[in-house]
Amino acid sequence: MNGHFQKDQALLLAEKFKSGRINRRSFVQGLGMLAGASALGLNAATAKADTKEMIYVNWGGDAIDAMAEAFGDSFTEETGITILYDGSGPTEGAIKAQAEGGSPTWDLVDCDPFSGQALGRQGLMEPIDWSIVDEGKLREGFKWEYAASSYFYSYVIAYDKTVYDTPPTSMADFFDTEKFPGKRSMYKWGVGMWEAALLADGVAPEDLYPLDMERAHAKIAAFKDNVGAFWGGGAESQSLLLNGDVSMALIWSTRAMLLDKDTDGDIAMTWAEGIIAPGSNGVIKNNPGGAEAAMQYIASTQDPEKQVVLFEMLGNGPANPAADALIPDEEKFYNPVDPENYAQQIPLDMDWYEENYGAALDEYLGIISS
Amino acid sequence: MSRTLLIAPLLLFLGVTYLVPLAGVLLQSVTVPEPGLQNYQEVLGDPLVWSVIWRTLRICLFVTVLATVLAYPLTMLWVRGRRPVQIVVELCIMIPFWLSVLSRTFGWLSMLSNRGLLNTWLKDLGIIDMSLTMVRNDFGVIVGMVHFLIPFAVFPLASAMRNMDERVLMAARGIGASRFRVFWQIFVPMTWGGIMGAALLVFVFSIGFYVVPTLLGGGRSVMIAELIYLRIFQIPDWGIAAALSALIMVAVGGFLVTIIRRTGVGSQ
Amino acid sequence: MKTRTGPFTALIGGLTAIFLLLPLLAVIPVSFTPKRYLSLPRGEWSTRHYEALISKPEWAESIFLSLKVGLLAASLSTLLALAFALGLWMMRPRGGSLLAGVALLPMVAPPVVSALTLYYFLRQATEWNSLVIYDGWVGVAVAHTVMVVPYAVVVIMVALSQVDRKIDLAARSMGATVWTRITQVILPNIRFGVASGFLLSFILSWDEIGVTLFITSVRAITLPRRMWMGLRDNIDPSVAAISVLLIALVTFVILGRVVWQMTRRA
Repeated sequence: MNGHFQKDQALLLAEKFKSGRINRRSFVQGLGMLAGASALGLNAATAKADTKEMIYVNWGGDAIDAMAEAFGDSFTEETGITILYDGSGPTEGAIKAQAEGGSPTWDLVDCDPFSGQALGRQGLMEPIDWSIVDEGKLREGFKWEYAASSYFYSYVIAYDKTVYDTPPTSMADFFDTEKFPGKRSMYKWGVGMWEAALLADGVAPEDLYPLDMERAHAKIAAFKDNVGAFWGGGAESQSLLLNGDVSMALIWSTRAMLLDKDTDGDIAMTWAEGIIAPGSNGVIKNNPGGAEAAMQYIASTQDPEKQVVLFEMLGNGPANPAADALIPDEEKFYNPVDPENYAQQIPLDMDWYEENYGAALDEYLGIISS
Repeated sequence: MSRTLLIAPLLLFLGVTYLVPLAGVLLQSVTVPEPGLQNYQEVLGDPLVWSVIWRTLRICLFVTVLATVLAYPLTMLWVRGRRPVQIVVELCIMIPFWLSVLSRTFGWLSMLSNRGLLNTWLKDLGIIDMSLTMVRNDFGVIVGMVHFLIPFAVFPLASAMRNMDERVLMAARGIGASRFRVFWQIFVPMTWGGIMGAALLVFVFSIGFYVVPTLLGGGRSVMIAELIYLRIFQIPDWGIAAALSALIMVAVGGFLVTIIRRTGVGSQ
Repeated sequence: MKTRTGPFTALIGGLTAIFLLLPLLAVIPVSFTPKRYLSLPRGEWSTRHYEALISKPEWAESIFLSLKVGLLAASLSTLLALAFALGLWMMRPRGGSLLAGVALLPMVAPPVVSALTLYYFLRQATEWNSLVIYDGWVGVAVAHTVMVVPYAVVVIMVALSQVDRKIDLAARSMGATVWTRITQVILPNIRFGVASGFLLSFILSWDEIGVTLFITSVRAITLPRRMWMGLRDNIDPSVAAISVLLIALVTFVILGRVVWQMTRRA
């Protein structure tokens, strides 16, 4: 089983290397990690009784392999604790179901900070132990009681360059179908869309929060006929633009990067007025692997080198500002937190979401589905 | 004695694995966040819930009728056609089963989207000059659901048609009844149990649909299963989710029991 | 000698059959796309997604696991449903339709609610035993049985509703035991219904994702679960490749059966 896995990882690496998705350095580095892991694997059979493992739940897809490569393998090497990645999606409700009985099977989750906070206040998450996790390795303002930021992504405008001669440069352009004719796509679960609507309606970035929902929804209601589809997942948002079903969309920057690379720039992106948000690591209360080990895992993911590996594979902006400089120049454009890009964007207010997300989403769905 | 031996295993099995834990989940509708019926009040007073329920009912009823009606002649060909026809039809029924829902919805998206195969063909043939919008709306949802459900309607229908007494049909033809009359006055009534079984299966199945409407509806066709998903996972409010589920189960369950009683599926 | 189907039936039935195959026109080409996301190949065709299936043993492991789960779930649900439907049909207990309603409950409940319910059951069961557990294949099979048994009940009840009660009454009046009535008289008449119930159960289990996603984590990864890992992220075209392989297999089995029947008859 273990041998299979490593062989497969090696194949996968080779394939990605061949297809140019990761550069030579991370290929060699990855092979090194695998070699180390398999050397350890030789002893694993004898030490099986006390082999420790923890389950990290993320959103699946490429993130499973990418996180294993960037963080999991080296953590196992250092501590002997195997990290298993479960891609079933740690929605707030799924974490709640896990934690409520008091004996969860999951250890760590890749959650929205506002979910982590809401669950933490219900006593379902372990508070982050700042004596193990280093807050000095986080960006200013992106740490919470129950969640430590782990990467950044942004809701940005991606557009079909073959349709528009001049690129859109603001949310106002996104909502302007006279200047930029064509179908649009927006996020079905609302996050970032209210901000976009308000910015387009003339609200200054610093006055966004608390969001004026009435105004945002009025703007969206008036605009919704121009929306060809509301996307619910990353893959869907990509195919909408690729198939030409829409010519401009508000999508995750990670997806926009892939589109830009896959189409050789035919589908381009802009950071202008992007709504930037962090993902975060959280630890479930009474996790089977123990809170301390889980905190150690989080701390180990703060290493800037490792975060660069994740960036190169997925396009997730590093949580540790020290990583920005390690990104090769030609890739810097895709880093959402690169100082130049970050300055053009507006951060999502997690406190507002923790408080208001449920009611806002209800109203939003009512508007887009009628 | 033998009655209990036959009936009890399933009920016992479901009792342990399902009914007891289900009761625990549904109980939250009157206990979370505090004891009382306020969750039901809130659900029944929520305009979003009602608009979603109406859409779900409208689409599911339409899909049920369409899937059952289309499955009927298909099943006739499968059960009563000539041997080569039977084989071809059997392939057509079985193949979609092995396409994962994901591949199927993607298949439909590639067929029906603006730059999709169907629009391209229609334009090449000169039938249309503007692309038809056939997907990411209710039409797409219906196509996808009917496609998914036809094979499921075929099974009960085939079951009924196979067990039919052939002599009755021969006799009717023998006394000179037209093909049309034999079909409507003898064949269809004799398979009534199968028709009701198929419609019932398809209708109830369609209520729980989640993936197809989500992907083919362009995010707009929010149906009841997705709304409950939202209340359980996305923005958890389990009291409301439980109340909503309990109401759906009572409505659909009541409908089922009535149909079973009226038409006597199974009890004749 | 059967009365043949008319031209109108043939027309509607034929069109419906074509409709059922339409998505294949897209799915087969997609499996040969050179890209790493679901897309129609433009010009260049590639077998990389088929190679990926071979080079990643997880796919084979998942197929095998899904087969095991499906067979166990289908066997369990067919047995339970058959006994239950026979009991209702032969004994006609009072409140029969209500009992049927209870058996159909898992079909009526919104799938997400069933997912949560079965998750609680399996978490509890994990503390009682070591076989039917959360994230274990037998546990998945039991959960699937719950989800598919109503469909088997409906199909078998429909088959029973076509059986002439008089033959059973005749057997009964001649003093046949319940066992004899079932095996000698009723079962031969509902063979097809029982087989359909089994097949339907298997297929539903094979394709089940809503509940599976919630009761498995890192060990019992069924085939749909593996396909769905990227629900919010990337959809791997290997999904299409797997479908094409399965379709080829099914076509082969059906045609093989036909050939076998013909050679036996000759």
